[in-house]
Formats: sequence, C-alpha cells, structure tokens
Amino acid sequence: MDFVNLASQLNAGTIVPEGIVIITFLGVLIVDLILGRSSSRWIGYLAVAGLLASIVALYFQWDNINPISFLGAFNGDDLSVMFRGIIALSAAVTILMSIRYVEQSGTALAEFIAILLTATLGAMFLSGANELVMIFISLETLSISSYLLTGYTKRDPRSNEAALKYLLIGASSTAVFLYGVSLLYGLSGGQTQLSAIANGIEAANLGQSLGVVIALVFVIAGIGFKISAAPFHQWTPDVYEGAPTPVIAFLSVGSKAAGFALAIRLLTSVFPLVAGEWRFVFTALAVLSLILGNVVALAQTSMKRMLAYSSIAQAGFVMIGLIAGTQAGYSSMMFYLLVYLFMNLCGFSCVILFSLRTGTDQITEYSGLYQKDPLLTLGLSLSLLSLGGIPPLAGFFGKIYLFWAGWQAGLYGLVLLGLVTSVVSIYYYIRVVKMMVVKEPQEMSDAVKNYPPISWNLPGLRPLQVGLVVTLIATSIAGILSNPLFTLANNSVANTPMLQQSMLVNPQVSVVTTQQP
Amino acid sequence: MLSTLIWVPMLGAAIIGCLPKNVSSRQIRLSALLITGAMLLWTFWVMAQFDIHQPGFQLTEYLPWIETLGLNYQLGVDGISLVMVALNSLITWIAIYSSHDNTERPRLFYSMILLISGGVAGAFVAQNLLLFFLFYELELVPFYLLISIWGGDKRSYAATKFLLYTALSGILILAAFLGLVWLTHATSFAYESLMGQMLPLGLQIILLSLLLVGFGIKIPLVPLHTWLPDTYVAASAPVAMLLGGVLAKLGTYGIFRFGLGLFPEAWATLAPWLAIWATVSVLYGAAAAIAQKDIKRMVAYSSIGHMGYVLLGAAAHTSLSLVGAVSQMVAHGLILAILFNLVGVIEEKIGTRDLNVLNGLLNPIRGLPSISALLILSGMASAGIPGMAGFIAEFLVFQGSYAEFPIPTLLCVVGTGLTAVYFVILLNRTCFGKLDNAIANFPKVKVSERIPALILATLIFILGVQPAWLVRWSEQTVTTMVSTIPTVTNIAHNLEKQHLKM
Repeated sequence: MDFVNLASQLNAGTIVPEGIVIITFLGVLIVDLILGRSSSRWIGYLAVAGLLASIVALYFQWDNINPISFLGAFNGDDLSVMFRGIIALSAAVTILMSIRYVEQSGTALAEFIAILLTATLGAMFLSGANELVMIFISLETLSISSYLLTGYTKRDPRSNEAALKYLLIGASSTAVFLYGVSLLYGLSGGQTQLSAIANGIEAANLGQSLGVVIALVFVIAGIGFKISAAPFHQWTPDVYEGAPTPVIAFLSVGSKAAGFALAIRLLTSVFPLVAGEWRFVFTALAVLSLILGNVVALAQTSMKRMLAYSSIAQAGFVMIGLIAGTQAGYSSMMFYLLVYLFMNLCGFSCVILFSLRTGTDQITEYSGLYQKDPLLTLGLSLSLLSLGGIPPLAGFFGKIYLFWAGWQAGLYGLVLLGLVTSVVSIYYYIRVVKMMVVKEPQEMSDAVKNYPPISWNLPGLRPLQVGLVVTLIATSIAGILSNPLFTLANNSVANTPMLQQSMLVNPQVSVVTTQQP
Repeated sequence: MLSTLIWVPMLGAAIIGCLPKNVSSRQIRLSALLITGAMLLWTFWVMAQFDIHQPGFQLTEYLPWIETLGLNYQLGVDGISLVMVALNSLITWIAIYSSHDNTERPRLFYSMILLISGGVAGAFVAQNLLLFFLFYELELVPFYLLISIWGGDKRSYAATKFLLYTALSGILILAAFLGLVWLTHATSFAYESLMGQMLPLGLQIILLSLLLVGFGIKIPLVPLHTWLPDTYVAASAPVAMLLGGVLAKLGTYGIFRFGLGLFPEAWATLAPWLAIWATVSVLYGAAAAIAQKDIKRMVAYSSIGHMGYVLLGAAAHTSLSLVGAVSQMVAHGLILAILFNLVGVIEEKIGTRDLNVLNGLLNPIRGLPSISALLILSGMASAGIPGMAGFIAEFLVFQGSYAEFPIPTLLCVVGTGLTAVYFVILLNRTCFGKLDNAIANFPKVKVSERIPALILATLIFILGVQPAWLVRWSEQTVTTMVSTIPTVTNIAHNLEKQHLKM
C-alpha cells in the first residue's frame, strides 16, 4: 500500500476537532509544568478556548463527504459531529464552573482540566468510533478519567468512597461489555468493524441465535451503565453526591451523551437482526428508569442526590427516542440531549454557586434564597422547571418532541408513562423552587441567613457567572427559537447513511440490507 | 391584533419583574393597572372589529414556527373565544384593581398575574392544538406561586394539590391531542385541518373521554373537583377571582372547542351521559354548599354547581342551549368574581369567614352596609333571579336542553332552587341579625374597595336586562357549530361519501 493510498485511507482530517483537544490538553499540562500554580489564573480560559476551537472545527466537519477514516475505525458522519459538539460544549461549560470550585478545594486546576479534557477526548472518539477496539479504548479513556475526576478531592472521604464505588462498578461493567464485544468478534468470524460484524453474523446465519442475544445483553449492560439507566444506575446517586459537583455536571451531560452516541451506533449497525429484542430491552430499561428515577427523587433531601435521580429519569425520557428508532426518534433524542445540556449545566452551575457560598447542598438550606441571591434563584428555578417540562422553556419542547416521536412510532404506553412520570417530576422540581421562592423571610434557613454578600470578583467566579447566564438564556429561549436546533438535529439524522439504512430495516427484523462500509 | 392581547401583558410582566427596588408597591400596582387597562381597551377594539355575522375564525394570524412538530403560531377568534377573551381582560383588570396597595413582593405578584392573563388570552385565541396546550400549561407555575406565596392557611397543601391536578389534566389533554393528530395522519396540529376528521366512532369516544376528564378537572366536574374547595379557599381574593372567573373557563372553553368541535359524532353519542354527569355536578355542588360553614367554601362549591349548567347546555347541543352555556360562562365569571371580591373585603374587615361568627353586617352605621347590599345582589344573581345575567344564562340553558334531556334539566332546575337555599343561608347569617358588640369595630370600607364590586354589579345588571349584548357575539358561531353535529342520517351520508372516494 503506497503512501498516498494509505493517507487517503487514514483520512486524518476527520479528527481535527479531537486533534485540537489533544493539543489543548498537552498545552495545559506543559504550561502547568513550566509555570506551576501561577498559571492557574488563565489556564482555564486556555482550555475553554481550545474546546470552542474544536467546536468550530466540528462545524467544518458537517456534511463531510468522506466520513470514514482510519481504515474504517472512525466514522465522522453528521451523527457523530452532533454528539461530539454536545460533548465538547458540555466540557467547556464544565470548565467554566470548575475554576472556582477546584480552586476553593485547594487542588491543582491544571491537572483537573487535563483529566477532564482526556475524558472529553474519550467521549468524542466514542461518538464516532466504528470498530470494536476503538469503541473499547475510547470508552475506557472516558471511564478511567471519570474515576479520577470523581475522586479528585482526595481529602474528602465521600469523594473517595464515590470513586471506589464508581471504579468497581465501572470496571466490572466494562468487563461485561468487553465480553459481549469479544463474543461479537467470535460470532462474526473475526470482524471488528461494526458493519462487517453485521454482515458476518448474517453470513454465518446466526441471525437470532443465543450467542447474538447474549452479546446484545452484555453490550447493553455496558451502555446502560454509561447512560445510568435503571437497573444499571446504582452508582449514580452515590457518585453524584460524593464527586466534585463540576464533575457531576460533566458526567450527567457529556458522558451520558457519549453513552447514547455509542448506543445508537452500536445497536443500529451491529444488531439489525435483533432489533426487536434490543428495543424490548430498552423499553424495559426506560420504564424502570422513568418510574424509579422519578419516584425515588421525591424522597431526596440532598440537591445533588435529587439531581442524580432526576438524571436517571431523564435518561428514561431520552430512551423513548431510541426505542422509536425513526427519523423523528433519533433527532428528538439529539434535540433533547442538546437542551438537556443547557438545563442541567445551568442547574449545576447554581448548585455549585450555592455550595461555594454556603458550603452545603441540602435542599432545605435553600429556603428563602430569593431575597439574598435573585440571580441564583432565577437560574435554578428556570432550569428545574425546564427539566420538569414547563412551557415555554427548552425542556418543554424537548419533551414534546420526544413524546411526539414516540407516539408516531406507536409507543403509546411508553409515552403515557412518560407523561405521568413527568407530573411526578414536576412535584419534586417545584419543591426546590418552593423552598427558594415561596418561603417567608422568617423561614430562612441558617445557611441563607448567613449568606455572604454577593461579589463576583473572586478569581473564577466570573466564568461561573458567564456560564450560568449563558446556559440560563439558552434554557429560556432554546425552546421558543428552537427551529434552527430542530433543523440541525433532523439534518444530522437525515445525512447519516447508517441511520437511514437502519430505518429501512428496523420495523421488520427479517430483512437486512448491506450496511454502508 | 390578537397577538397584542397576548404579548402586551407578557411584556408587561417582564417589565414589572425588572423594575428597580425603590419603586413602591403602589406604583407597581398602578403600572399593572395601566397595562391591563390598555389591554381591556384593546379588547374593546377587537370586539369592534369583530363581524358577528360571520361564523368562522376572524382576525387570524399565522406564523410558521416549529414545522417539525406541526406547531405553528396560529391565532383567530370566533364568537366563543371572543367573549372569553373579553371576560379575561375584564376580570384581570378587576383582580388587579382589587388587590392591595401594599402587597408583599409586588413585582412577582403583578408579573405573575400579567403572565397568567397573557397566557389565558393566548389559550383562548390559539387555533393550533399544541399552541393551546402550551398556553394552557403556562398557567401552572404562576398560579402555583400566587397561591403558595400570597394565600391563606394551608396554602402550601392547596397549591401543591392544584399543581398536581392541573398537571395531570394537561397530560390527559396532550395525550388526546397527540392521539388525534397521529390517528388522523395529520401533518400539523392546526385546528381547522383537524375539524373534519373521520375516525371510527370507538376511537373518537376514547379521545373525547380523555379530553373530558382532562378538562373536567379544570372546570371542575364532580368527582374531579376535590382540588377546588381547597384552592379557592386558600387563594387570596384577586387570585381566587382569576382562578374561578377565568381559569375554570379554560376548561369549559376547551370542552366546547375541542370536545364538541372536533368530535361531533362522539359527542352526540355521549351526550345523554354528559347530561347526567352535569346534573350530578349541579346537585352535588349545591348540596355540598349547603353544608359549609365557611362563606368562601360555600362560594367555591357554588362554582362547581354553576359550571355544571355549562356542561348541561353543551350536552344538549341545540343552538339555544349552547348560547346559554356560553352566556353562563360569562355570567358565572362575573358573579364569581364579585362574590370572591366581596368575601375578600368581608374577611379583611372582620377577620373571619365563619358563618357562626358573622352577623348583622347590614347595620347601616357600624356594619358594612354597602358591601352587604352588594353581597345580597350578587347572591341573588348567582341563584338565578331574573333581571340579572345569571338568570338569562340559566334560562337559555334550560330552555335549550329541555327538549333533549327533560329529566336532567328538571333536576338542574331543582339545583337552582338549592342554590337559592344556600345563598339565603349565607345572606341570613352574614347580613341580617344583630351585630356582636364585642367585635363590632370594623375598619371603614374605602370607596376604592367598593369600585370593583360596583362595576361587576352594574355589568351583571345590564347584561341581565339587556341580554342581547351578551348573546349576540356567539349566536352565529354556535349555530354553525350545531350544524356540524350530525344526526344519524348525516353520519350515514358521510360514510357514503367516504365510500365514493374509495
């Protein structure tokens, strides 16, 4: 194979956005080594600039005519561009909110950002990974960095415990995933590329054999862990409570988006023959997540734990789009993940801000907050109401689109369950709003009584404020002005050959067309 | 034109919410009054532009919005929505007028009321199902806050109950809308394109039942009403006026527009049951009101009874009974608003709402004579005494539905009698008798506190002696609506047409 041919096969241009993240990552590390702590004043901005540059580079990747690169290991189609954008954006906002948080915890900022960028890198590669080894490596890059981030505040016993729990569960679920992946390799006669596996399985006439089903279940165990779908959710509440809050913000958006990207790619291209089965399994997961996430969240007293259960429930909503498996289904997933980014990061910014100022995140401690900190109250109220799906906020349109897509695909029961559980969710979201807004001055909690005067001048608070305001604005108007976002999500599904192929086959399991190489 | 009705209050809400700290509560109230006053004037202008001889939607506006969802910004009024919009503008203005000069946290209070007003106007003029739902759900959080911040005892419980019930009602409605659009394979939620749908009767009945339960919670109809007494009692007077005067009308309007308008065949099938349901509601409301010891609770239960007449009129679906039902919506809005206003004044001046404590308020010197006189007047209006708007509306309903459902109609007439009973109890215990010397040092009622009730009383009286001004707006619309409700021959005819198409 001569060099030109090899270069065209490698087609390294598709991973320019990741390249920028790598350069930023190295830059952050090296600057930290040379300048030491004194660089921490601006190193966060360097990382944000790098991530934004990466998003700009992603813009030029849109509608790439030749998306397959690295001999088929990476697919830069519009689906992956969309998910990589969501992940990079979530990392950028996470860095904005973590500058002050990490500073205050007395740990090094540059190391934190470096690990976060590695996680981002893993997640971005995962969104486009088209080959088993590549999938596994990027999944591990994401996971290992996540374990490190969870235990980053290493003097805090809760953070340590969370890291241990996350590590043990994460490593074992990756092992289960790996076992499923190795089964796929064996079943398909030694193929590692996703489309080749589907062909191999079909050629070996193993259509719906037990082996394929076992591989499917094992793979879903790994995916369910990443998207924290019940019953693979057990780590979520504990990790969310123990880990540093910016990390949670990233795990709840970036890591979850990566999990969904993996789910779409893997399930549609490898398992078209058992589409009915994986839809069924995901229906069960969605039902469990919706019920468990929303009902258990009712009984939480800690803000972060409540948001943990809420994120389990929100995963259940997103799964409706995945199960629908139509054009509208996939694009509603993407749209929801996009608005979920804004609402969740806005909410977490407020939680961080509150805990920076008062040092606690108990829900009852928020009472009477509107008098002391109106911006925080507004931000947290709007983001929680949006998570509950109240019009005219972004979350309302996201949920409507999911339900609409689900109903079109005939998932009546699931949509009705989604509707009913969203009433339940309104209850626990509005409980926090009630604490902040409704309580009289004499019912103020101790934390609010001793609330420090608001100043944005401490290092790292300004970026937090910027992140809060930007996500707040996006949460409030991304619904009303959602047409461009809808078009974006729709186009990214329409321009992805893999999904178009799968939609042709998915209603009936009997026929399989050759996948795009 | 209609957009102004929605966006001026919303914009006003945003402006009021952002007013600086040194603006006093009084000034904020004044600016809210100005905004809603402008809106009221604009409503008159819209009414002047409205052509009452034309049955379809008028003053329509269309903007493409989110095509993917079939959600477009589509507005329009017909006779039914026009009177509802007018009622909304009026009651909002009156509610703000009857709020206190020194309300706590005035920015939030008035911006929430304005938000509700804009949202309700939007729901009444929306000609897209999803747009209607959006505006419908928009009332949820502002009302929750209005009840739970400025309410009375047990406000937290009441507000949460209201929130959950209303959210549930929204879901049922959304499920029905999604079902309708998907089953008819329509590409958008536009109202007019869904009007001629041809679903099998069984499906129609299922969807209609979802709508009935969804809107029945909001109206409310008897077993779905349990949120209402708690919420009305816990809400402060202006909020209760909005809740009963306007929000309940969203439910009946929804039943008219979407139940009757979109499912005429299923409606014709279910009508007898609905008439029975309405009767149960009327009798239950009246009987429960008789048993109450709290005047606000009494008024709340009277509301359940009066909304039952609307359902009876709608169930009979003759053009007379429908006109009656629309008039009843207006009359009930006005009467409930005046009652809540007066009860609010009494509670404020005397400090209790207990029927066993109140006495002799009609005493010209030490009592509250003007308020008591107005209370007697509005009690009579509510009970259906001729000369006032309540009588006209109820009479139209009864006359229109007697031919269809004689027995339910007669039972509802009995319900009117029971209404008179509990209002006489109420008036007897509050206005008549002797003042208790130990507590009878009530603060004076200021002129400005009388004005809202006086305006409403005048309106009730004028519409009672000159009912044409109440009825003329919706006559044409309602007649057209009735003509779409099929008789058996019509159904057969439609089926034949379908066959020919195939």
